[in-house]
Amino acid sequence: MSRFTRRVLAMARKEVLHVRRDPRMTWLAIGMPVLLVLIFGFGVRFDLDRLPVAWVDLDGTRGSDALREELFVSGEIVLAEVCPEVECAERALRANRAIAAFVVPAGAEEDRTRGNPVTLQLLVDGSDGTVANAVLANAEALAAGAAMASAPQAGSWQQAAGSRSPRSLIATVIRYNPRGESAMFLLPGTIAYVLALVSVLLTALAIAREWERGSMEQLFSTTVGGLEIVLGKLLPYLLLGMFDVLLVLSVGASVFALPFRGSLPLVGVASILFLVGMLGQGLLISIVTRSQMLATQLGAFSAVLPSLLLSGFLFPVENLPWPLYWLSMIVPARFHVGLLRGALLKGSGWSDHWLDLLGLAAYATLTVVASAATFRRRVA
Amino acid sequence: MKTIVVERLRRTFGTFVAVDDVSFEVEQGEIFGFLGANGAGKTTTIRMIIGALPPTSGDATVAGFSVAREPREVKRRVGYVSQRFSLYPDLTVRQNLSFFGGAYGVWGKALDDRIEQVVSEVDLQGRLDELTGELPGGIRQRVALGAALLHAPPIVLLDEPTAGVDPRSRRRFWDLIRTLAAAGTTVLVTTHHLDEAEHCARVGLMVEGRLVALDTPAGLARTWVPGRMFRVEGTAAHRAIPSLRARREVVEVEPFGATLHVRTGEETDLDEVRSWLDPDAGVARVMQIRPSLEDVFLAVAGRGDP
Repeated sequence: MSRFTRRVLAMARKEVLHVRRDPRMTWLAIGMPVLLVLIFGFGVRFDLDRLPVAWVDLDGTRGSDALREELFVSGEIVLAEVCPEVECAERALRANRAIAAFVVPAGAEEDRTRGNPVTLQLLVDGSDGTVANAVLANAEALAAGAAMASAPQAGSWQQAAGSRSPRSLIATVIRYNPRGESAMFLLPGTIAYVLALVSVLLTALAIAREWERGSMEQLFSTTVGGLEIVLGKLLPYLLLGMFDVLLVLSVGASVFALPFRGSLPLVGVASILFLVGMLGQGLLISIVTRSQMLATQLGAFSAVLPSLLLSGFLFPVENLPWPLYWLSMIVPARFHVGLLRGALLKGSGWSDHWLDLLGLAAYATLTVVASAATFRRRVA
Repeated sequence: MKTIVVERLRRTFGTFVAVDDVSFEVEQGEIFGFLGANGAGKTTTIRMIIGALPPTSGDATVAGFSVAREPREVKRRVGYVSQRFSLYPDLTVRQNLSFFGGAYGVWGKALDDRIEQVVSEVDLQGRLDELTGELPGGIRQRVALGAALLHAPPIVLLDEPTAGVDPRSRRRFWDLIRTLAAAGTTVLVTTHHLDEAEHCARVGLMVEGRLVALDTPAGLARTWVPGRMFRVEGTAAHRAIPSLRARREVVEVEPFGATLHVRTGEETDLDEVRSWLDPDAGVARVMQIRPSLEDVFLAVAGRGDP
């Protein structure tokens, strides 16, 4: 065994001893990832159901009652209030008891039996765009399936209704996430985000601690070189990070029924590259700041924001304004989120993701080399 | 044989000159002491000699290797105990020792043997599995010395190794240092305990980055505190000060605790000093002493030139 290897292993073994002795590390490496996956899995959802909708029946026939039952049976919208007139529905909207109201005009049933088109009016609270869109989409789908099959006239709360043109029927088939659950498409992103945060913090603490204790000076007096310190610090946390990968994947599978359709080796290799990149980022920050507090703050900031906003985790990178789009090219989470979504949900393989792998490998190399080089400069 | 040859070593940090044109040589097996106030440049000099800090100019040859060009070769041949306690407090003594062994590339069976040897050298038997952070200061310093000896270096540099250590442990630590030197290890040590520096074969004195004096303790005393030194002990010795200072033969009178240190020219003898003393000073004893390094330190720091 070469002296280089021995020195790296000596560093790594010492680091394992520190981790085992420090309860903070256990929490950071095991408690935090699980907690974050659960929070994101349960808490961050774009699915909207059980929307409260008021019902204004100006017709008052058996037919309109039947329509109401049909619309509300699915559970996607729930009956907030039955109103005799429009004014009462508007009060419900203002008081946030309902976010929309169906208005059945007088004589609707009569028109329907005569075979004339019937127009329902939909009042929507437009002050929350996400909710308004969801209601519109739901209402349209519901009305289309309802007994009086005709496009309802939709209009927002403030604005007069603009009637929608009749549409041709499109048979939509959603692949990979057929129920359109946001948990499915958020989980791979969550995994990348959690790993990024945890690994940057782990190494950010590890080197800054040596500076603060003064043990770094002792290290410099030994024959251990910058690259050996960097590798010795990386190795144990890489193993810990790989354990975290298995941990969050298991939590995803057992709690959220996250599938694993693709290649395990692909996810393994990509995760190693991603972890090395993020651990390297933590090292670099730690080498430059030399303080645990500063390194923690800068580490969390630099890991969280890009991984959330520039990775495609929450917003598609294709929609980013061009400077941010190009910035996202140096965010490793961007590659990892795409790869995980593909490999977990779509079952895509090596040939689909070689570019992502390349991006991850480039970032990993960059941070490790930069750390070792910065170290050498800092020592002097 | 010279194991450390320092030639015109200089180190600046920005515009601050930490070490300025320092040259000296240390013999193999010698105990060389470095004295100076805080910030005088002792630690910076040591860090250059161990190869951890490149010099701005000048060079030092340590065990035949240049610290400027071959710092790694130098590091393999020196052991270093830094001023700040720098072992890992959350590791046991054994774990610390095997880490530093590994950091020098000592491994496996050789490492285990070496740990056993070092433990008996620095007298740490039975302490191996204790947490380093929970040990008393004196024992921790022995662990630090042990860690610096694992790769069997021919040269050991100790930066304030006895700072904050109780007197008994200090004495024990110096016994270890003398044993090391007797076995042929070269020791360079900095201290601010001037009594400890008397153990050194030679002492260098640093003031504001410069090496202003270098000699044996006795030699330093001769050069910097010439003449004879007498100690005057008495119940009210300070009352003797005015009459002593009035004498032409007296160069200097310094109160030292309850006693006085009286420095005179070479011609003065004990009886003469006795005859100068005021009867109501209650003087019990007068003796001739060798000027201490403390006298030297005060003389050097006070004037800067002999």
